[in-house]
Amino acid sequence: MSILIDKNTKVLVQGVTGNIGTTQTRYMLKEGTNIVAGVTPGKGGLKVEDVPVFDTVEEAVNNFPIDVSLLFVPARVAKDSVLEAIDAGIKTMVLITEHTPVHDVMEMKAYALQKKTLLIGPTTPGIITPGECKIGILPANMFSPGPVGIISRSGTLAYEVAANLCAIGIGQSTVVGMGADRVAGTNLVDILRLFNQDNETKVVVVVGEIGGTQEEDAAEYIKEKMNKPVIAYIAGASVPPGKRMGHAGAIIEGGKGSAKSKIQALLAAGAKVANRLYEIPSLAKELIS
Amino acid sequence: MRLHEYEAEEIFSKYGINIPLGGLAKTPQEAKQIAESIDVPVVLKSQVLVGGRGKVGGVKIVDNLDEVDIVADKMLKTELKGYKPEGLLVLKKVDIKKEIYLGITIDRTSGIPIIMISSEGGINIEEVSRKNPEKIFKLPVNPLQNLHPYQVISTVKKIGLTGELLAETVNIIVKLYKIFREYDGLITEINPLVITGDEKIFCVDAVLEIDDSALFRHPELNKKKLDAMSGRDKRLMKKGATFVKLNGNIGLICSGAGLAMATMDMINDYPSLSTANFLETGGGITSDLMVDCMELVLEQPKLDAIFINLYGGINPIHEGAKGIAKVIRERKLDIPIVAKALGNRQEETWETLEEVGVHIIKESETQKAVEFLAKLLGVKAK
Repeated sequence: MSILIDKNTKVLVQGVTGNIGTTQTRYMLKEGTNIVAGVTPGKGGLKVEDVPVFDTVEEAVNNFPIDVSLLFVPARVAKDSVLEAIDAGIKTMVLITEHTPVHDVMEMKAYALQKKTLLIGPTTPGIITPGECKIGILPANMFSPGPVGIISRSGTLAYEVAANLCAIGIGQSTVVGMGADRVAGTNLVDILRLFNQDNETKVVVVVGEIGGTQEEDAAEYIKEKMNKPVIAYIAGASVPPGKRMGHAGAIIEGGKGSAKSKIQALLAAGAKVANRLYEIPSLAKELIS
Repeated sequence: MRLHEYEAEEIFSKYGINIPLGGLAKTPQEAKQIAESIDVPVVLKSQVLVGGRGKVGGVKIVDNLDEVDIVADKMLKTELKGYKPEGLLVLKKVDIKKEIYLGITIDRTSGIPIIMISSEGGINIEEVSRKNPEKIFKLPVNPLQNLHPYQVISTVKKIGLTGELLAETVNIIVKLYKIFREYDGLITEINPLVITGDEKIFCVDAVLEIDDSALFRHPELNKKKLDAMSGRDKRLMKKGATFVKLNGNIGLICSGAGLAMATMDMINDYPSLSTANFLETGGGITSDLMVDCMELVLEQPKLDAIFINLYGGINPIHEGAKGIAKVIRERKLDIPIVAKALGNRQEETWETLEEVGVHIIKESETQKAVEFLAKLLGVKAK
C-alpha cells in the first residue's frame, strides 16, 4: 500500500507539449508511471513520447480513465487549467507551476473543496510512491520503497530527507510535496490523515518551514488522532524576520508561524523534533525498530 | 510589491475612499505650496517602505505655515531605518474622535481572505491583538463570490457603530475588499480609519502590498517595479530567483527556498560562519542564470567561501554548472567553493565543476558538505 498513487494510477499531463512537460513526461515514463494522455489547447492530435495529446481535458477523459492530472502549465493559465480538470471530473490534481497568483490559488482551493477534489500544490515537486509511480519532477534516484511516509512543504528538502534515509537503507512508502506557496491547495493535516490510515507507513516525517500555521495545525492533529510516530523538522530557525509593512500579517498569525512556535507545538503533541536535517535518519531508524 | 502610502492612497481615492486633502511633495518648496493651498495644521509623512514610521520620527504635525518648509527639509534628508524617503505626503490634519482599524489579508492555512475590524485603531494595534484579541473582529470571505454589503453589517456593528457611520463604514469595507481583489492584494489596510468630531470618515494611512506573481495583470505597477531594478535583478526576477542580502562571510546559492533555509541553519551553527546572503534559484536554472547568481554573490563584501547546494529535479543542474564554471574561469577565482549537486545528470554536473576546482561533495547529506566547508576554512563547531 501507499497513499494517493500506486502502480495502477492513470495520469494525465496538462501542458505536456511544453519543454518541461515533455522532458518530465519522458522521465516519468522511464520510472513506469502510467501516463495515458496529455492536454495542450491547440495541440490536439499530436503525440509526445507516444502519449496522445488532446485539446481539452474533457476529450482526454472521454477517451481514457484518468485518476490524476499533473499540470506543467504557465502560471497565468494555472487557474483555468485546474478548474477545467475539476469540471471534467478529475479527483486529484498536482500543480507543479511556480509563481501562480495567490488570488487564483484561493479560488482553485475553494472550488476544489466544493467539488470534493484534492489539489496538491502549486509549486509542488509532486508525489512519488517509490518503485511504483512518480507524478511530478522529483528525481527518482533519491528514493526507494520502504516504511517511511514523507510530507514536505519544500521540494528540495523532500529530496534531501529521502536520500539521507536511503543512505542508511530506509525507504519510503509515499513522498508528498505540499507546495511552498503562501496558500497550498492541500495542507499538511490532510496528508497526515492519509498516512495515518496507511498500513504500510510505519513512521511519518513532516518537513515544515517558517511562516503560516500549518505545522501548528498538524501538531493538533498529531496530538489527538495520530496512531503512529511522527518526526518533524522545521527549516529556517536562523532566518532573520523580513521587513514587515502593515499589521494584518502579524494579527492573523497571532504569534504563530516562527520556528520556535512550531517546534513547541510539535514537541507538546508528542512528535520527535529533529533540530537539524541530519538527525532525521537516526530518529527514523530508532522508531522503526 | 509594497506600494508607498501616497501610491496606495491614489488607488483608494479612485475607489471612492475619502483621503484628507493634500499631496506628495518632493522638495520643501512643494511641501510649503501644498500646505498653503490646504492651510495648516498639516501632517507631514515620510514616504519610506518601512513599518512603524510614526515611532521613529517619520510623521510630524506642523501648525505654523512658516515652519512647513523647514520641517520638510529636515524630514526629506532623514533616512528612516536606513531608507531615504521618496518624498513627503503633506495632508490636512483631521481632528480625531475615533480611530478604527480595517485590514484585509489572506489566512494562509484556510486559503481565504479575512477582513479584520477593530475599534482600537492606531499604532498599537498589534499590541491590542496580543493582549485583547477579542477586540479584533474577523470576517472570512468566500473567494468564489463577491463581497456584498449585507455580509459585513453585523461585524461592523460589533465595534459600536450605528446610523450613518455604520452604513458608511460598511461601504468603505466593501470598497477596500474590491481593491484587495482587483489589485491582487496580499495586505490592504487602513489604520487608522478616522471618524472626526463632525462625523466624517477619512482614511489616514493606507497600506497596499501586491502579489508579485500577479504583476502581469497590473502592467503599470509592473513597469514601475522593473524601472527601479538593475538588468541583472530583472533577469533574476524573470527566472523566479530570490535574493536577500544578509552580511555574513559565506555566499550561498541553493535551488529551493526550504533547502536554502535548512542550509543557512547548518552554516550558522558555526560561530565564525554566517551566510552572506540568501539566494534561491527557483525552478528555472540555466547557464546564464547561474552566471548572474555567481556575480551577485561575489559582490558581497568579506566573503570567505561560496557554498552551492543544488538538486536536479526540474532544474537542469548540468546547465547551471556550465554557468558557474564560466564565471570561475573568466574571473580566475581562487575563493574556495564547495558544491553539493544531486539529481538528474549529476555526473555531468560534477565533472564540469571539478574541472574548475570546485570541491564536490557527492553524499546526500548537506551537513557533511557544511562540515567539509568548515574544515576547509579551519573553523570549529561550538
